[in-house]
Amino acid sequence: MRIYDMDKKCYVAIQKIDEACKKIEQLSDALYCYKNEIFTTVYDKSQPALKSHVASFKKEYLEQTNMQFLYFTSGTTGLPTGVYKTKQNSRQQALSMISTLPKNIKFTRVITTVPFVHIYGVDIGGVVPFEMDIDVWAKENFLPEELALEAAIPNTLIITTPLFIKALNRIKKPVHFEKSFFITSTAPLSQKDAKEFKEHYRSSVMQLFASTEAGIMGYKIDDEETFKTYNCVQIGENDSKLNISSPFVTQKVLNKTIKDVVLPFQTEDIVEILGEHEFKLLGRSSNLAKIAGKRISTIQIENIIESLGEVKCALVKVRKDEKALRDEILDIYIESDIEIKHKDIRDMFKEVFGPINIIFKVYNGMEIIKSSVGKKIGFKEKTN
Amino acid sequence: MITTTDLKLKLISGLGLEDISVDDIGDEMPLFGEEGLGLDSVDAIEITLLVEKEFGVKIKDLEENSTVFSTPETLTQYINKNR
Repeated sequence: MRIYDMDKKCYVAIQKIDEACKKIEQLSDALYCYKNEIFTTVYDKSQPALKSHVASFKKEYLEQTNMQFLYFTSGTTGLPTGVYKTKQNSRQQALSMISTLPKNIKFTRVITTVPFVHIYGVDIGGVVPFEMDIDVWAKENFLPEELALEAAIPNTLIITTPLFIKALNRIKKPVHFEKSFFITSTAPLSQKDAKEFKEHYRSSVMQLFASTEAGIMGYKIDDEETFKTYNCVQIGENDSKLNISSPFVTQKVLNKTIKDVVLPFQTEDIVEILGEHEFKLLGRSSNLAKIAGKRISTIQIENIIESLGEVKCALVKVRKDEKALRDEILDIYIESDIEIKHKDIRDMFKEVFGPINIIFKVYNGMEIIKSSVGKKIGFKEKTN
Repeated sequence: MITTTDLKLKLISGLGLEDISVDDIGDEMPLFGEEGLGLDSVDAIEITLLVEKEFGVKIKDLEENSTVFSTPETLTQYINKNR
């Protein structure tokens, strides 16, 4: 397989690039490491807080033998969690996913619109074409019109996000993608959007259900209501939350130190199990937001806002807006004696998360209600 | 002909830039990156859809039009030229 740089209109070498910033460089470096079994840490270096968090770890944690990738994801505790993956984790996962692709299309290339700074980008956007031994095409930024032209070329597998499916629905370009196939990440794509896409473009979308810790768990096609799991994935539930045993689950995570992961792995996803290999996703624990493709803990966001001295307490809720391209919107409830301005919070987000435009609404003059153990359970308007 | 103010008003409402007014956005302020308005790649997609819907102008290729998104001024010029 080869990497095609669509911006420079040329193939680029798969090589080691230590400070990979551009998408093509990230892909080239990740695939070089995967091919040669070199352990590497993968994260979004454009997020200043994450960069310094990773740099704070002892060298030994970032130099693991017998491991392939260390991904960083937002942990439910408010601090990013490191997730180690073996090459076997990634390879088996890619092969399982490939086995579910439509057999009537002979894919000759993969187009990826995602950055290669997380598991979806690297394991799906990079390792899948590597294991299929077909070229992967990428560019720094895609516009919906450009993607539409590429998808119209037969035998193309497009690895993208729901954002692009929604954007393609909006432009309604008069083309069909019947000889191409789309894969999207876990972020929600409504049944209505999936159906509209299928009807207009005559192409199918496979929505993956995955997380950094658990790897891929299931998938659904177009506007199907339920997820099917991969053959080697066993599912269960605990207090309505999905748990998983599979060869794709990480064996080790890194918080302050390295911890072994015990199976079944408990997720934060609320589900209804319908069969041995079928479940319906009812929701996700509300303390995780998906913003610009990145999973960010609401607790982390609350911690950031509460670091403003004037704020006594902050509560962040995640709201979905199906009409918007962005995954989710944050409602921020603030308990403070003075008004906290939208701009103050925007500036803090910029400092911590870097160039991600987070959409949020601020509600000042609130009282955050806490349980007897201090857990934030709700809010009400403050009465003087 | 549209003005940069027309465009800025559409950007503010379309991108949910709640705390920003037309006066806060200079005609030559970069739309993207930390030095300017701080928009990101998702906003770029949102802007292409917004420009098509509101002004009937399609932005098809970022490479050919690499400067279109630079500032409100360049985007306004592009819209007026292609309407």
